[in-house]
Amino acid sequence: MTAALRSMAPALALFGFAALVPLFVRDAFFLDGLILILLWGSVAAAWNVAAGYAGQVSLGHSVFFGLGAYSAALMGTKWNLSPWIAMVVGAALATVMGFVIGFLSNRLRGPYFVLATIAFSQVFLIVGSRWRGFTSGSEGIPVPFRPGFWTLGLVEKRVWVYLMLALAIGLYLIQLYLERSRRGYQLAAVREDEDAALSLGVPARRLKVAAIAVSAALTSVCGTLWAQYVGFVDPFYVFSVDLSVRFALAAVTGGLGTALGPFLGAALITVLETYLRARFGGIGAGLVGIYLIIYGVALILIMRFAPQGLVPWLASLSGRRRVSRATGAAGVAS
Amino acid sequence: MHAVPQLAVSTLLLGGIYALIAVGLTLIFGVMRVVNFAHGEFLMLAMYLAFWSFALLGLDPYVTLVLGLPVIFLGGWLSYRLVMGPVIQASHNVQIFTTVGLSIALQNLALVLWTADAQFIRTPYYSVVVRLGGAAFNLAQLVAFLVAVLATAALFAFLRWSYTGKVMRATAQDRHAASLMGIDTGRVYSLTWAVGVTCVGVAGVLLAPVYPVYPTAGLQFVLIAYVAVVLGGLGDMAGAVIASLIVATVEVVGSYVIGTAWKEVLYLLLFIAILLVRPAGLFGQRGAETIGV
Repeated sequence: MTAALRSMAPALALFGFAALVPLFVRDAFFLDGLILILLWGSVAAAWNVAAGYAGQVSLGHSVFFGLGAYSAALMGTKWNLSPWIAMVVGAALATVMGFVIGFLSNRLRGPYFVLATIAFSQVFLIVGSRWRGFTSGSEGIPVPFRPGFWTLGLVEKRVWVYLMLALAIGLYLIQLYLERSRRGYQLAAVREDEDAALSLGVPARRLKVAAIAVSAALTSVCGTLWAQYVGFVDPFYVFSVDLSVRFALAAVTGGLGTALGPFLGAALITVLETYLRARFGGIGAGLVGIYLIIYGVALILIMRFAPQGLVPWLASLSGRRRVSRATGAAGVAS
Repeated sequence: MHAVPQLAVSTLLLGGIYALIAVGLTLIFGVMRVVNFAHGEFLMLAMYLAFWSFALLGLDPYVTLVLGLPVIFLGGWLSYRLVMGPVIQASHNVQIFTTVGLSIALQNLALVLWTADAQFIRTPYYSVVVRLGGAAFNLAQLVAFLVAVLATAALFAFLRWSYTGKVMRATAQDRHAASLMGIDTGRVYSLTWAVGVTCVGVAGVLLAPVYPVYPTAGLQFVLIAYVAVVLGGLGDMAGAVIASLIVATVEVVGSYVIGTAWKEVLYLLLFIAILLVRPAGLFGQRGAETIGV
């Protein structure tokens, strides 16, 4: 139990810190940053369920995010329904779409799977931007602001922090389950060698589809919350390949298939983005792309020097230190 | 029915350009087993090369095509040395994200340097229309098609008959056996990457007089190339050419029948249908998609 607790210590510290911040900080800018870190970390964690744990690396996850976001926007504007209902509906739609995509691309591996998921997200982008009668097309939809918790019209940034924190902790625990449970080990087996897993009686095909569907539903929940927080949904953003890459980027930077990685990656990327935007945003609008250049270069460098991501890299550093300190002692902690 | 000759000509002209883009992509995949997600960015960079040569030096895009060829090839070679080479032995995921990173970096480099505004090259022959047997088309489009066909043919001849081409094909067939035969596979990879980039670069310069240039200009073309390359069977050169014509047919006939707004949906649905029915492509080896090669 203590070992399990110790391995969770960094996460406890991180989420505990996030919980304390709103008590002492009132500055809207910092709280906004924290909310975005928790939100992007949660989406990256949802992506990680399919990509990191089941090995189904998708660059089309914006489909599910967009479904959640559009559910909130459309159900709010057209039928005046609560975003909480939209969240359930969006998650249900995303689950169905996850099953469809997972089933259709079940046989595909590696680059083939990536290409298929990109194609699906492009279909959604085109439908979202051209089906004017229903989605308002490329103009996008403003999400109505209706004050109150039931309608998620929250002025207090602090409430948003705790809402996103609950989401983040939920996703962290789901990932932890995938790390420690029988189901999780089966998924790891499928990820590492699908044929070997099949030969051992692991229902690989079914598990892959299930992982994508669960990941889809979780991504959609994040999409609904994002739409409510930001207040505007536009097809070229929510269904773009760039957005899918963004989810992947945070998880890959932090550590693919680690529970804390997506949050660490999101924190790093959001801080970098905010800093560079503040630094170069004023000089000229043309320079805002600089942080994306740094993104790209950072991704290349991480893939080259620490392809496992930050979490395993940090763990190996601290593990080595602990071993050297504990030489001679009976139980070597690592 | 009077539209048939026009549709046929449009399809052919479009298909020729698509083929050149797709051939570069499929060559890189066939030899290196890497899907280049930065392929569209190389197209965009070549379009900018043509634009700036025209705007600053007054060079006609077709002059740029000849003079710029070594520049594009060198750029491709450099990008391999700096970016792809170090991860060539790594896993699929690492390679996918490396090319994605390259794509993000190049796209936004263009955005920072040259802004998001669409740029046009106004050549003297910009609006020259050629009429031929009931079909009308832009002169630059015709030239682009002819050069693209020539370049594709030259690549096929190079791979078929030259010693280096044979070495590349040997590496594509079995990289370990090739390496045991004394082939320096590292050099083959860098050459393949550079040749693939040159193909898409030539296509970019050819497209510059016809289409506007902006940082994400590559995306629309490269999406089509992905469809064509999978349809033809990843790594299959002849398949990619035939598939490009099929995709162009779907696009041209589709936009004639149901309108240009929805034409993209058609080839994406075609793409999904292929992945569903025959993921290895029309001519690819059955089962290739399940071993991830």
